[in-house]
Amino acid sequence: MNALWNITKKELKELLTPSSIVSVVIVVVMFAALGTMINSTVEDVTSPSEILLINQDSDGYGVEIFNQVYDAVYGEGMAEEYVTYVTESDISDQQIYDLMTELGMSDAMVIASGFSSNIHSDPMVPGVIDQYYIYTSAGMFGSTTSMILPEIISNMNYLISTELLGPEEVPKLNPISYTNTNTFVNGNMAEGVTPALVDGAVMGQTMMMPIIIMIIIVMIGSIVIGSVGNEKENKTLETLLTLPVKRTVIVAGKLLASAITGLVFGAAYMLGMMMYMGSLMNTMTGDVTLESLGMALGLVDWAMVLVVLFLAILSALGLCMILGAFTKNYKAAQTMTLPISVLAMIPMFILMFMGWESLSVVAKVLLFIIPFTHPMMVMNNLMFGNIELVILGMGYLLVFTAVIIYITVRLYKSDILITGLSQNPYVVKFKNMFTKKS
Amino acid sequence: MSDALILKDVCKRYGDRDAVKGISFSVKEGEIFGLLGPNGAGKTTTLRMISTILQITSGTINVCGYDVATEPDSVRKVISYLPEDAGAYKDLTGREYLKFIANFFAEGKEREEMLEKALKVADLGERIDSKVDTYSKGMMRRLLIARAIMPSPKFAILDEVTSGLDVINAFEIREIIKEIASSGVTILMSSHNMFEVELMCNRVAMINNGKIIEIGTPDELKEKFSAKNLEEVFIKAVKQSEGEQ
Repeated sequence: MNALWNITKKELKELLTPSSIVSVVIVVVMFAALGTMINSTVEDVTSPSEILLINQDSDGYGVEIFNQVYDAVYGEGMAEEYVTYVTESDISDQQIYDLMTELGMSDAMVIASGFSSNIHSDPMVPGVIDQYYIYTSAGMFGSTTSMILPEIISNMNYLISTELLGPEEVPKLNPISYTNTNTFVNGNMAEGVTPALVDGAVMGQTMMMPIIIMIIIVMIGSIVIGSVGNEKENKTLETLLTLPVKRTVIVAGKLLASAITGLVFGAAYMLGMMMYMGSLMNTMTGDVTLESLGMALGLVDWAMVLVVLFLAILSALGLCMILGAFTKNYKAAQTMTLPISVLAMIPMFILMFMGWESLSVVAKVLLFIIPFTHPMMVMNNLMFGNIELVILGMGYLLVFTAVIIYITVRLYKSDILITGLSQNPYVVKFKNMFTKKS
Repeated sequence: MSDALILKDVCKRYGDRDAVKGISFSVKEGEIFGLLGPNGAGKTTTLRMISTILQITSGTINVCGYDVATEPDSVRKVISYLPEDAGAYKDLTGREYLKFIANFFAEGKEREEMLEKALKVADLGERIDSKVDTYSKGMMRRLLIARAIMPSPKFAILDEVTSGLDVINAFEIREIIKEIASSGVTILMSSHNMFEVELMCNRVAMINNGKIIEIGTPDELKEKFSAKNLEEVFIKAVKQSEGEQ
């Protein structure tokens, strides 16, 4: 046999083990599911936006122009389907917020009184259009829908200019003044603030936390699985198991050391990221900060973040210890980290791109089951007052971690740690089923 | 003299394969007892069950008055197990490794005394402060033997303790084991080296295909099989047991 092929075949046999193949299959399935979810969200943000149009003007001119533009953007008859019209000459900011909440709309446009008469007066006075938004944290695509109002107003501006000056003239007029933009965050109105600016201010949490958590999980996962793999490879595990120490203590010792390492490394990453994101966001958001929006976290909030983070790290370590129990050596241990990495990457990407609120119920349930989702979204939930979700997540993590640690200890008391899965009676029975058939 | 180890009808099943098939034997206090057998005969599985690492499928094992299945924590306090090809933590020095193990058994002055004793047995000179990673196989064995006897166990289980060592290192390790035994520690050892077993063991049990095929003192066995040495006994006993099967 050709020497090259002989060596290649041996290497492939070592590298393409059932555990590494299963890991890769899991990754492919998970990424396919993630792709489908992102695709549905992208479709959502490109579909016609639901807009609340409040007309304070006695004339219907503004509404007429709006409809022309909306239909031109989304298609004939779409305005009728997606736009809710309210004619109200005197309406307060709070009433607008209540109305938007009631209708479940996040974008509202107010055509001020005298809009038509001002534009058609000589000399022309710009008609006023105000924009109102309810900010919901929805990842990278969160403020995408809020870009549609400025686009519509810009097109209305163009259309009115053309109408006033005639099609041959360059539409250099600015018949619409739309400087009044207000965004409701947690029910409080931030004047002159666009959702994009709010996005910039909360970006530190929505973007940074998932990335940091993912890094921590992958890192400590690798440490703890590698540690068990090393014990097996260096033949120190058998000695450790015969020392006068309970298996619970061995498991706890390994978990604690990795948890401390994870927290120290995590704190370092968080500090670095905060400094980087802080300087980056300052240039983008100016005076709009979490403090100015009333969203800064208090001491109790930070305590909750730490508890969720600690529980998630413990559960990750428990999962890794379980995977580590099945590894033969350090090399095999490295491939076993893959499922954990993917399990951390899924909530990271989903929360970065879409945000919790924009997910379907099924996606929410699936995401909730993944323990790493909770530390990734805990800061966001606390900022936006979703305390119930935080408490539920903490409860789930507590139960999940307890179950995982119980399974880990049971596993470390069993033969599997020494003999591996191949000698397990259930695995042998399962294998025999196929062997006999063939 | 009472029994330090009693095995009664011990079985171990791996999936659909019986690795140990109802073995029974006992080891008296202060004895050096050898477990002999070809590769895959069930020696290591037996030693692992005695050491509480593997669970017993059926039967009972009693070590120094403690039941292995129901009192594993108590068993671990009186035994010391040295697995075949065992290693130590590569990032630690020899001294750090011994200290790490000593911390499980004692504190303060008692721990220091334990450590001193282990350092003497290891006899690695200045190299005791080198990383374990840099040790030769002989040095590693000395360190691990020192680790095994450091807590003054009542019962030491040594699996192929001189396997792979050169003549000088093997001789030195055997001398250490004899010294341990003279201090009253009961020793159960497995080995392929018939010369070593004949030289050191008070009694031996021969195991083949998961069953005990012969048990007795080396002289008794040599007489029974009219053999010049234990190696001849072993070959004849194995052939006889396979013929019976």
